Amino acid sequence: MLTAERQMIRLPDGRSIAHRPLSPAERRRRLLASIGTHAMLIATSVMFLLPMVFVIATSLMTDHQSLTRELWPRPFEWGNFAKVFARIDLLRFTWNTTQIAVLSTVGVVVSSIPVAYALSRMRWRGRQAAFLLVLATLMLPFQVTVVPLYVIFVRLHWIGSLKPLIVPSFFGDAFSIFLLRQFFLTIPDELSDAARVDGASEWQIMTRVIVPLAKPAIAAIALFNFLYNWNDFFGPLLYIGTNKHLYTLSLALSEFRTVHHVEWNLTMAASLLFMLPVIVIFFLAQRVFVEGVTLTGVKG
Amino acid sequence: MRFTVGAERRRRPRRNLKRRLTILAFMSPWIVGFLGFILYPMLATLYFSFTKYDLLSNPIPYGIQNYVYMFTKDPDFWIAVRNTVWIIVWGVPLQIGLSILTAWMLTKPKRGMKVYRTIFFMPSLAPPVAVALAFLFIFNPETGPINVLLSHLGWHDPPLWFYGRQWSKPAMLILGLWGIGSTMIIFLAGLLDVPRQLYEAADIEGASGWQKFRYVTWPSITPVVFFSLVTGVIYGFQFFTQAYVSSITVAGVTTTQAATSVGSPNRSLLFYSVYLWQQGWGNFRMGYASALAWMLFMVTMVCTILLVKTSKRWVHYAGGGFR
Amino acid sequence: MKRLLSALAVLGLLAGACTAGGGNEAPATVNPSESHEPVTITIWGAWTGRELRQFNAIFKDFTAKYPWITVKSEGGIGDQKIIQAINSGTAPDAVLSFGLDNVGKFCQTGAWQDLTPYIQQSNFDTSQFPESVFQYTSYQGKQCALPFLTDAYGLYYNKDLFQRAGITEPPKTTSELVADAKKLTVFNPDGSIKVAGFVPWAGYYETNALTMSTPFGCPWYNADGTRSAFTDPCWVDLARWQKDLIDYYGEQNLARFVAGQGNEWSAENDFETGRVAMNIDGEWRTAFIENDVPNLNYGTVPLPVPDDRASTYGMGQIGGTIIGIPKGSPHPAEAWLLVSWMATDTKTLVYMANNVRNVPTTFASLESPDLEVTPQFQTFLDIFKNPGSHYKPATPIGDADQTAIGNVLEDWQVGKITESGLSAALQKAAAEVDNLLQEAGV
Repeated sequence: MLTAERQMIRLPDGRSIAHRPLSPAERRRRLLASIGTHAMLIATSVMFLLPMVFVIATSLMTDHQSLTRELWPRPFEWGNFAKVFARIDLLRFTWNTTQIAVLSTVGVVVSSIPVAYALSRMRWRGRQAAFLLVLATLMLPFQVTVVPLYVIFVRLHWIGSLKPLIVPSFFGDAFSIFLLRQFFLTIPDELSDAARVDGASEWQIMTRVIVPLAKPAIAAIALFNFLYNWNDFFGPLLYIGTNKHLYTLSLALSEFRTVHHVEWNLTMAASLLFMLPVIVIFFLAQRVFVEGVTLTGVKG
Repeated sequence: MRFTVGAERRRRPRRNLKRRLTILAFMSPWIVGFLGFILYPMLATLYFSFTKYDLLSNPIPYGIQNYVYMFTKDPDFWIAVRNTVWIIVWGVPLQIGLSILTAWMLTKPKRGMKVYRTIFFMPSLAPPVAVALAFLFIFNPETGPINVLLSHLGWHDPPLWFYGRQWSKPAMLILGLWGIGSTMIIFLAGLLDVPRQLYEAADIEGASGWQKFRYVTWPSITPVVFFSLVTGVIYGFQFFTQAYVSSITVAGVTTTQAATSVGSPNRSLLFYSVYLWQQGWGNFRMGYASALAWMLFMVTMVCTILLVKTSKRWVHYAGGGFR
Repeated sequence: MKRLLSALAVLGLLAGACTAGGGNEAPATVNPSESHEPVTITIWGAWTGRELRQFNAIFKDFTAKYPWITVKSEGGIGDQKIIQAINSGTAPDAVLSFGLDNVGKFCQTGAWQDLTPYIQQSNFDTSQFPESVFQYTSYQGKQCALPFLTDAYGLYYNKDLFQRAGITEPPKTTSELVADAKKLTVFNPDGSIKVAGFVPWAGYYETNALTMSTPFGCPWYNADGTRSAFTDPCWVDLARWQKDLIDYYGEQNLARFVAGQGNEWSAENDFETGRVAMNIDGEWRTAFIENDVPNLNYGTVPLPVPDDRASTYGMGQIGGTIIGIPKGSPHPAEAWLLVSWMATDTKTLVYMANNVRNVPTTFASLESPDLEVTPQFQTFLDIFKNPGSHYKPATPIGDADQTAIGNVLEDWQVGKITESGLSAALQKAAAEVDNLLQEAGV
């Protein structure tokens, strides 16, 4: 399931087989190669980290200093983070964003599992066609559906509520279905056949056999959807624009500098606060992310 | 579970029906979603694209005038197309190339790989709005750290980045490349899956580094390249958030006045999706925006089909392709 | 299945087509002297920050007059959000907008109700407003908004910087403006701009096609408003004048300077920090200066005009906040009480003028002895009263006209449009606007 991790575990084994004393020259060659590799990686790391360092440094500057060409905060203004809370109702925006992200994620998970199950573990005429249709919707630009959807939500009086961002998630998400299907296909048929012989229904097979085995994939789609909805900007921009109380973090942040006339330091502090949950989740669930991304694809 | 033959024959149709209903039940979330949130809206958009529709009054039939306007009268349409093609033509290959490069670097070290992987991967998860604001500050021509560093290094006339029409798209590209982490992870998995024996065999034959890449590595990662190419092109056509945030911040306007300023500076960041938003939600031209959306859909389809067609020539599926 | 699908699609299309159904005929009215059930009405507006707080304070007087009505005010809401709410049937009772360019669309579609029946029913006296406000509050005979204070645009100049440069009088003509700007400009040793005299850059704060074209007298439309007038030679004159001064700074140099501008609505504003010596701005800036840098030694004058238009000196662009009743307003009768009261209550208008520093819009409030008038603010009262002051004609194409001509000026100022390509570019912009007018049924 997890190619990257598996390979990494295998690597040390591979080395232990080739256990033999090395000549000093060979040892030196390897040391140099290792230094070269790490130098390269460290240089690349610096490039990836530098933007974050600048953001953090600026978020700790005084108003005045953030307008100058200085790079390092002097003094450190830890109060900036408190100021962000004073300028905008960050807690409310976080709560709105969390609601959308959590509920949508639940919706996608519960609605996509049965679909993926039917597309992978049940045989029926038209299955292949249905799967291709799911795949085809993956490349559908959201712009093609957005105007009528807007009109539908208007008719339902959903504009100005969080519903347009949550309810559609309960009707399956093509990407998640695709990913789960790919994973379900890797589970040996014998397992479900055994359950079937014991008289289990398809629903029971799915919930008791397949879902427990597919936990990594389910965790991955849950995380992807959480993150997607946490970061989404276009959806909230269109659908909940009328109601300031329902602003998400993306919306609030996009006009933070222009509407609230704030300095760069507070803008950067707010950006950091916005990224923080993502960073925390990433560290808690790095494995799931890596496995999930790997799963997206391509393996076939 | 012991049935007589007769009973079996009698029960089969009902079991079949039950089975079909089960399948239908399992598929139902997607079927409802597909009809309600995809098929119907698509058709309705198609209908709107043949109307004048200002959101405030009923759509008025308008024939093919929206499409005529698009191709013969609208100067901004072609600007948006050019900008979008630019970002795809540069962005997608660079993203793939750099993803392969960083993934390849990650396969080298004996220890510490996870730390580097974390560093490379994390930016790709950051919220696009936050990233856009961060890069706007970092690349601010006057006070941003990048230009401060560049002028310390002796470049007295550093670029205007997001504030100048020549540099805004390259700046946007750099912003995008910061987030190559997720693509890189897929390539990393692909690279680690290449059987080591193949490299050892190539070593014995005395292959050069390039030859090893070209004849061993490349064929086994072509499915990943293909996948990244398709998703990159599709995503490129829909590029919106970063350009929108960048333009309104550069123009110093609020979302209230965003419609006149999107694309700033000098419409250099007027990408297709941004233009579509401006026409529909800014200028009350939902009919025209719908026509733009359908055109986008057609072009995306054609590009995807072309890529799939050519892929047969250069993509190697070890397991024999899609199951 | 197929039949079901097509039925669904048709149903949906009908649903979509009906969004804007239902007009309203006779206006609902209330007799203020009767007793009423208590009611809370909501007004949405674009104000934010300090201005919003000051605005919110006006409603206690309204409730004192109509004790059964409580007003809830929400700020930071732009036109797109108002339109979304009108669409979704969640419109507030009354709305306030800065978006003058949308008046044409609002009137044409009835998104904002035509107030004429209300005006007739309640014998509302429209002669208490100067004639110029009707140009931007009505369209094709529909009065779908009333003015609630207005803006006027003039030239701010920094007296200390003028003194240092040895200039005694603010410029009256555009050529004097250029000469003074050059004297006032200070370069850094590396050639970059330290202090700019004047920045003729479309997109720099309030400097744009609209504010610059007014003193030049450049027409936006032909007489009956059916065609764009961007091909008028006046626009070429404006563009050349703009470019001459830009070339003095160097285009790259000025672009860099503009990129480093401070936020318009904060104390970072370049004029307030002395980074620019003269700037086009609205009357509200006097309040910002009072608030941010009370010691700034500055003056205001009408925008300089071209030499051959010296007789028109004193006029400028005007047009500001508008209020109205959206379609679907839950309490239109009470909303009319609020809107008519806001538009005409002298005490309220004077309070807003004194605090938010906008130009009041009735004759009574303009002449009120309570109006606190600083010399800097007086300039804008005079510009508003000047018979030549105006806003561009209302059209149903939103701000697409501003976008079109703005694109030309912005491309021109960075050299993307060359001298030889200028008239072609203006023609193209005119054709673009003509096409949109045609599409909008003008």
